[in-house]
Amino acid sequence: MGSFIAAGLAFIRIDYLKRLALPFYFLSLIGLVIVLFGGGDVVKGAGRWIDLGIIKIQPSEFAKIAYLMAFSYWLSRHPVSFFRLKSFLAPFALFIVPFILVLQQPDLSTALVFTAITLVGFYWAGLTVVDMFLLISPVFSVILSHSQFAYSQIFWGVLICLVALALFYRRLPKALTSFFFLINIFAGYASSMVWNVLKPHQQKRVETFLDPMNDPLGDGYQVLQSMTAIGSGGLTGKGFGEGSQTNLSFLPEEHTDFIFSVLGEQFGFLGAVFVLTLFFLFLWRGLTICKIYEDPFVNLMTVCACAIFLFHILVNIAMTIGLMPVTGLPLPFLSYGGSFALTCMVLVGFLVNMRYQGGRY
Amino acid sequence: MYNASFGNEELQNRNLKVLVLLALIFFFFTIIISRLFYLQYLHYEENLERSENNRLRRVVLTAERGFIYDRKGRILVRNRPSYQIALQSLSLPRKKSEKDSIFRRLLEIRDLNGVQLFDSASLDTAFQRTVWIKNRPIRILEDATPEEVALIEEHSGDLPGVVTLIESRREYPYGTLAAHFLGYTGEISEEQLKQEEFKDYSLGDRIGQKGLELQYDREFRGVNGVKIIEVNASGREVGVIEGMGSQEPVPGMHLVTTIDLDLQRVAEEAFPDSVRGAVVAIDPRTGEILAMVSSPRLDPNIFSLKRRERNRGWAEVALDSTRPLTNRAIAGAYPPASVFKLVTAGAGLEHGLIGRNTHFQKACTGGFQFGNRYQKCWSSHGNLNLIHALRLSCDVYFYQAGLLIDMPRINEFGERFGLGSDLLGIDIPGERSGWLPDSISFNKRNKRNGWRWARGLILNLAIGQGQLVTPLQQAVFIGSLARNEGVFRPHFMKEIRSIDGALVRRQEPVKIREGVMKPETHQVLLDAMDSVVNHIGGTGKRGAVKNIRVGGKTGSGEWKKGEKTHAWFASVAPLDDPKIAVAVIMEAAGGGGAMAAPVAQKIMQEFFYGDTLKKEGP
Repeated sequence: MGSFIAAGLAFIRIDYLKRLALPFYFLSLIGLVIVLFGGGDVVKGAGRWIDLGIIKIQPSEFAKIAYLMAFSYWLSRHPVSFFRLKSFLAPFALFIVPFILVLQQPDLSTALVFTAITLVGFYWAGLTVVDMFLLISPVFSVILSHSQFAYSQIFWGVLICLVALALFYRRLPKALTSFFFLINIFAGYASSMVWNVLKPHQQKRVETFLDPMNDPLGDGYQVLQSMTAIGSGGLTGKGFGEGSQTNLSFLPEEHTDFIFSVLGEQFGFLGAVFVLTLFFLFLWRGLTICKIYEDPFVNLMTVCACAIFLFHILVNIAMTIGLMPVTGLPLPFLSYGGSFALTCMVLVGFLVNMRYQGGRY
Repeated sequence: MYNASFGNEELQNRNLKVLVLLALIFFFFTIIISRLFYLQYLHYEENLERSENNRLRRVVLTAERGFIYDRKGRILVRNRPSYQIALQSLSLPRKKSEKDSIFRRLLEIRDLNGVQLFDSASLDTAFQRTVWIKNRPIRILEDATPEEVALIEEHSGDLPGVVTLIESRREYPYGTLAAHFLGYTGEISEEQLKQEEFKDYSLGDRIGQKGLELQYDREFRGVNGVKIIEVNASGREVGVIEGMGSQEPVPGMHLVTTIDLDLQRVAEEAFPDSVRGAVVAIDPRTGEILAMVSSPRLDPNIFSLKRRERNRGWAEVALDSTRPLTNRAIAGAYPPASVFKLVTAGAGLEHGLIGRNTHFQKACTGGFQFGNRYQKCWSSHGNLNLIHALRLSCDVYFYQAGLLIDMPRINEFGERFGLGSDLLGIDIPGERSGWLPDSISFNKRNKRNGWRWARGLILNLAIGQGQLVTPLQQAVFIGSLARNEGVFRPHFMKEIRSIDGALVRRQEPVKIREGVMKPETHQVLLDAMDSVVNHIGGTGKRGAVKNIRVGGKTGSGEWKKGEKTHAWFASVAPLDDPKIAVAVIMEAAGGGGAMAAPVAQKIMQEFFYGDTLKKEGP
C-alpha cells in the first residue's frame, strides 16, 4: 500500500502540495488535540492512536508530514535571518504548537524529530553555519557544564569563547548578541541549579534515560543484549537466520526497533557498513535534488525530508549500539510497523516528486 | 523575494549547504561505524562468548514478603526458606543425547530410603517444556528438603543446567489458628494475570489468595529487584556484568492486626472442632476485631507445600461437604433468632409503642393464635413485661409486639446498628450481606417461587426467624447497641509498618452508621441484656463473668424441622462502658444459652482476667 501511495504522490503537481500544506497542517493539529484529550486509544500507556474503524492512524506521524509541508511552504516564501527577528515568528509558531502537543502525549523522541526538521529548515532558509552553532550552543552548554566528564568545565569555557568569537564574527544586533552570550552562561549555571532542585527520583529518571545500562529493570537489559548481539556478529556475521542471540528471543518481538542488532549479528560489520552505505547513498541522492532546482519549496521539502530520515537512522542505530537512550524511533525501511513505514513511503514519494517535477513552476 | 535574483552566487550557496549537510551525515556515520568496529572487531571474542550459550541472565530478586503480627506484636505469619530444584533451559546441553543422559542421571538419584527423587513422567514434561520456555527456570522439585538439595548439589558436576533456587514461602506457625482471615498465598493464576488489577504482576509470582494475604497483598509484596549476571557453561553464576546496575529488592511491609493472639487462642479452644460455626469478638468503640474463628478449621500451611501434597490437601478441603474454606464469620448467613428480639424491642421503645412495663393482652400459654394459625413458644411464661420477656426470650410477647410495631420500624432500627443488606466493609474479601425482609423486599426476592407477603410472617420475623445476619453483623450489632455511640467499620488492620518498624499507616475508626437511639430506649435495652445474663432465671446466665456486668441475648435458630437449633449467643461487656462484644454461632448445636453462651463466657473471662490469670498461674 505504501508503494502505491509513493507512486501516486510522485505524480501530484507541486502546486497542489503548496496549496494543501497549510490545511493539512491544521488538520494534523486537530488530530493531535484529539489524542491528547482522551479521544485516542491507549497503547502502551500513552494514547497515541485514533481509531477510525477501518484504520488506526497515528496523528503524530501524520503531523510529521503535514509539518514538513507547511514549514517548507512558509520558509520558501519568507526566508529567515537573525537580522530580521520577526522572520522567525511565524515558523516558530508553526513549530512550537505540534511540538508541545506531541511532547504532551508524551512522546519526546517524535517531538525531537520536529526539532530536527526545524533546525535543518532554518539552516536552508537563510541561516549560516555560524548561526546554527549559536542556535544550538546552549544545549552544549548544558551538557558540558553538567557532565561528569573530568575536564568538561574547561570545555565549557572553550565553548563560551567560541560563542563569543562567533558573535564577534557575525556582528549581530546588540540585543541578540547579548542574548546568545547570556543564554549560554545562564544555561551552564542554571542546569546545575535545576539539577540540585530536582528530587532524587527525578534525577534518577533523567540518569536512566541518558544511561540505560544503569537501569536493569527497564531498557538496560535490552541494550546490553543488543550490544552483545551486534558484537558477536564479528566481521562477517553468523549468517542469515543464524543469530543465537536473536533467535533465542532475548529481544522481544515488539521491539522491532532493535532490527539493526539482528542485522549486525547475522551479517556482521560488513553487513552493517553496507546498510549504512546504502542509507548514505540514499540521503546523498536525495540532497542532490537541491543542486538541480531553484524552487525554494522543492529544496526545503527535500532537505527536511532527508532530515527526518537522518534523525531516525541516527537515533535508532545509536540506541542499538548503546550510544543513545532507548527511544521509540524506528529505523526507516527496515523496522516493521505500519505507521512509520507509511510515513517513509510518503516521504520517498515526495522526493521522487521533487526530483521529476521540481523544474516545473 | 527569495529567488528574485538567481544566479551563480545562489547556486554556489546551495551547493555549499548541501556539502555541509553531507559532511554532517558523514561525520555521524563515521561515529557509528567506529562504534561498530569497537564492538564487532575489538570486543568480538568477548561478545561471541557471551552470546554463545547466552551467558547473560536477568535474575529477579524476589522481595521478602511482609509479616503479620497480632496487636501486641506477636508473629502470626512469617516466611521460611524453600528450596526449588529447577532446569535452566539455556544451560542445558543442546544435543539430544547429552540431554537424555542428564535425564537418566536425575532419575537415578535416590534418597536415603532408596526412593527416587523424580518420577519419569513429570520430569519428561519438564524437559519438554525447556524447549520453548527459555528465559526462566522450570521447577522439577518443589519445596525440596535440605537432604534432597544436598543430593543434587553432590551431583552438580554431572548435571549442567540443573540449579537450586531459594524461594521464600509463607509459614503459619499456629496452623489452623486464625486461618480463615489470615488467608494463604499461592502462585498467581492465569485468570488473575488477565485481570486489570493484577497487571503489574508476572507469571510465577506468589500472591495472597484469600483473607488478609489477599487484601493487603500490595503492602506485603514489596518491590522485586533484579540483577543481570553472567553465568558459566553449566548455568552457575560467575559474576555481575561490569557497568550494569542492579536493583535491590525492597522488602514488603508488615501488617499489625487488631487480633489479640491470647483471645484468639482461647476462642479457638473454646469452640469445639466437631461443631460448625463461628465466633467474632470485636471492640465496639473502634470496630477493631479482637478474635475471629470459623469452624471447621483449615490449615493454610498446605498451600505452601509441594504440588503433590498441596493438591491432596486442597482436594480434601474443597470437596468437604462442611465447606471448611468458607469463612463463616463473615460469609455465613444465619437467621438471627431470638437475638433479634432486641431489635423488635428497641424499635417499639424508640417509637413509644411499648415501654419498660408494657404487658400485652395475651399471656404466654405456650403459644399464640393468629387467624387460623397457632404459633408456639418454647415454654409457657405467663403475662410478662418487656424486661422479663427478653430475659426469658418469650416468643408470644414478641409476636404481639411485632404486630404492633410492624416491620419497617423494626428493620430501620436494625439497620441503624449494622444489620441488613449493606456490607460492613471489613478489610478481608468475601463478606456477605444480611437481609432484613419487609413486604416489598420479601415479594421481590420470592417472585420466582410465588410466595407473597402476609401479615402472619411478622410473627416469625419479630422473633428473628426469616432474616439473615452474619456472625460479624451480630457482633457489631450488639456492641454498637450497648454503646449507643455509632457503628464503626470492623477491621483487622491496626497499623502498617515498614521493615524497620516505622509506622507507615494507621487505621483510624471509621463511623459507618449513625447508630444512636434515645437514652431511655438505651437504658431499657441495657437492663434487659443485663437481666438475660445476670438474673438467676435468665436464658444467658452461662455467659456471666465474675465481677463484670456482662449483657447479652441468646438465640436458638430453627432451620430445619427435626434438627437441633442453631445456637446463638451475643454478648457485650462491661455494660456501663462496653469494651468487647462477642457473637457466637454453633450450627445445629441446640439452645443458645446452653451451648453458645459458655464459649462467649470463656472469651470474656480471658479478655478481663487473662493477664491476672497468667500472672497467678503455675
